[in-house]
Amino acid sequence: MGLISRLSPAALRILALLAVLAIVILFFAAQIEGYLNGRLFNRISSSVAIMALIATGQTLVILTRNIDLSVGSMVGFAAFATGSIITNNPDLNPLILLLYSAAVGTAFGMVNGALVAYARVPSIIVTLATMALYRSFLVEYSDAKSITTSGLPAWLTDFPNLPVFSIGAMEFRAGFTASLVVVILVHLCLTQLRPARQLFAVGSNPEAADMAGIDAKRVVFAAFALSGLMAGLAGFMFLARFGTITVVAGLGFELKSVASSVVGGVNIFGGSGSVIGAFLGAILVDLLETSLVRWAVVSEFWREAVLGALILAAVATDTLLSRRLAKLRAKKGDSK
Amino acid sequence: MNPVLALRGVSKNFGMTAALTDMTLELFTGEVHAIVGENGAGKSTMIKIMTGIHQPSSGAVEVDGAAVVLNGSKAARLRGVAAIYQEPMVFPDLDVTENIFISATSGLLLNRPAMRRRARELIARIGMTLDVDRIASGLSLAEQQAVEIARALSQDVRVLIMDEPTASLSAHEATELRRIARALAEDGVSVVYISHRLEEVFELANRVSVIRDGKHISTKLITETDPQTLIAEMVGREVGNYFTKMPSTATSETLLSVQGLGVDGVFQGITFDLKRGEVLAMAGLIGARRTDVALALFGMLKTTSGTVTYKGAPLKITSSREAIDNGIAYVSEDRRKMGLAMALPIRWNITLATLQKYLSPLGLINTGAEVATAWDYKQKLNIRTPNTDIAVGNLSGGNQQKVMLAKWLNMAPDLLIVDEPTRGIDVGAKAEVHALIRAFTAAGGTALVISSDLPEVLALGDRILVMREGRQMAIIDHADASQESIMALATGQKDAA
Repeated sequence: MGLISRLSPAALRILALLAVLAIVILFFAAQIEGYLNGRLFNRISSSVAIMALIATGQTLVILTRNIDLSVGSMVGFAAFATGSIITNNPDLNPLILLLYSAAVGTAFGMVNGALVAYARVPSIIVTLATMALYRSFLVEYSDAKSITTSGLPAWLTDFPNLPVFSIGAMEFRAGFTASLVVVILVHLCLTQLRPARQLFAVGSNPEAADMAGIDAKRVVFAAFALSGLMAGLAGFMFLARFGTITVVAGLGFELKSVASSVVGGVNIFGGSGSVIGAFLGAILVDLLETSLVRWAVVSEFWREAVLGALILAAVATDTLLSRRLAKLRAKKGDSK
Repeated sequence: MNPVLALRGVSKNFGMTAALTDMTLELFTGEVHAIVGENGAGKSTMIKIMTGIHQPSSGAVEVDGAAVVLNGSKAARLRGVAAIYQEPMVFPDLDVTENIFISATSGLLLNRPAMRRRARELIARIGMTLDVDRIASGLSLAEQQAVEIARALSQDVRVLIMDEPTASLSAHEATELRRIARALAEDGVSVVYISHRLEEVFELANRVSVIRDGKHISTKLITETDPQTLIAEMVGREVGNYFTKMPSTATSETLLSVQGLGVDGVFQGITFDLKRGEVLAMAGLIGARRTDVALALFGMLKTTSGTVTYKGAPLKITSSREAIDNGIAYVSEDRRKMGLAMALPIRWNITLATLQKYLSPLGLINTGAEVATAWDYKQKLNIRTPNTDIAVGNLSGGNQQKVMLAKWLNMAPDLLIVDEPTRGIDVGAKAEVHALIRAFTAAGGTALVISSDLPEVLALGDRILVMREGRQMAIIDHADASQESIMALATGQKDAA
């Protein structure tokens, strides 16, 4: 009990989430033979490597009481644009290529941010529109052609799978490790930098933020720009992992990233949450998706429904658990 | 000596309406300057101009004798002007330390240990004790205000505007807040104190300014005026003694009889009878659990002991729906949270609880009847609005309160429970709300009024039930009650009879 009262509510949420993750893994390990192995870790880590970045950006936006539905299209466009540049200039410096992808995403994010923050259009409307717009730009830009692995340099397609280090059977590859580093960096910035605190303030109580002299417009603009930046980085990772990029690249990522954030304990009404939570949320969603494919009990037609139900159950459990813990904590606080 | 902050002939127009006209006000360091005026008199607009949220349409704002442009609250804060409000502006998801330093601009990296140390110093400077790691959503209103004051202090505040700071506080917390305000003034801060409680103004202020209809009426030393004069200046006419008790309209028929009602761990042993046409006032300090008794009678809190007899038969209700069906209405003290849908039109709010009365045979809403009812209440309750399609959130506090009463009166209840009916509303509206409750009982209704405002308790209650920490201390007849005797029971200085 002493421990619970000392932990911050944010830490409690993370603990609750880890508990839910453990329960899910144990459940499937009991259901599926040979479930727990290095291949499961690889499969999940390589797909989480991309989603974690997108969910991180999404979290920054949700913290300010907004939503970014255009992330999927931004990822797709950045992946395609980056792929086409490197196909035409195979000798391009890797760092410049990465920066290019990031810049493409950031530019799109800034358009979203400007429309939401300065033109005062609700974010759900803005990003619903730009989701379609950016996707159309991609179709136009691609001229109905695809990027193929054969056109890409080997360093790019090899990069995500380079082994970095391993813990037991779990092999941490470069793609996942890089994404993990980015998440941790963003987390540190979010908790340690003064301007980052304004992100929480704006989402927590916009009126009070205004009175406290915080430039809410700039904060919201920055959140969208950063979400774009993250989508740009994710686009780069997407290109490196799949090599083949068509006009449907990144389709559906917007909802998955929102799901990851919310499952990860980010308050959809803004003001609280962490990117570590969103990262764990992304793992949980992916784990469920991957495991269901191998679970013979569920037919493939019901898979989506079961996934939806499980996400609901996970969020409910997490909410109940952390509320219960917070209550315990409050009681402890009262009695002293 | 130059005033630290001054308004020189400031006017502010919103479209065609003039919110402020040729306003002049001088604030000096070290004084507590009270500002009084009815709701809608222009106090809020004035604060917003002083804190940089609004720009004057004409006239000048001066700091230390030099004209300045305060564009935005940040600019005002940099000049040392800050405000705290009745409903504190804290960030519910952040902790105390983060709340205090949210407006700080220096340094990129957060130095948590230093921030916490400084937060403790600031909290100590205003004489409070508060865990600086607590999340703000769990703090009481008084604690949230302390956080706001500490935030202002952290930025070297020179002018601190307090807008109705004690309206939602208990008597003890209010005393504490006034002590803080006084201490800040002695520290050289210019404190602007806006309050509807005149006792408070006379206890605390050095000078007092009256504004009415957006115009400056007077500024006097507190020693040169008296409450009667202030009220006359505020309303522009002599107010009939709104604190005078009207004769009881109680009949001999018992409507409600409560015997030993209790909820484990909340309140115990509540026992009273209520006659048709009577007003029973419940007095007590915050934390006396009066609202919980009301919620129990309204079916929103499960009782664990005691019996309720209503209209001669035992009553056991477990939901607000059942209470409403039995003719019991509860007007919440929290207009925002539990009372009104702020974004919806006045008429929607008024018919919200009784919408089934407005359905046509096809099940569609009969808008004509709805408008007629709403307009009827607008006239009867003197709700100041051009029409009933305006969102409730755009009305002043007093008029919102009237809409809420209209909503429940429209139900034609037998028993009306009203919780803090005049919290934060001005003298004129207060008198109107009192008259309304009186008219309701005169027409055969019965009222249970919870109020922390002692003059109001005495003005309304035929009998007064005093509670303290979940216990019933006494029921006093109006003839035997005084502010002192009620206070003595509520604070436990005098024991239950």
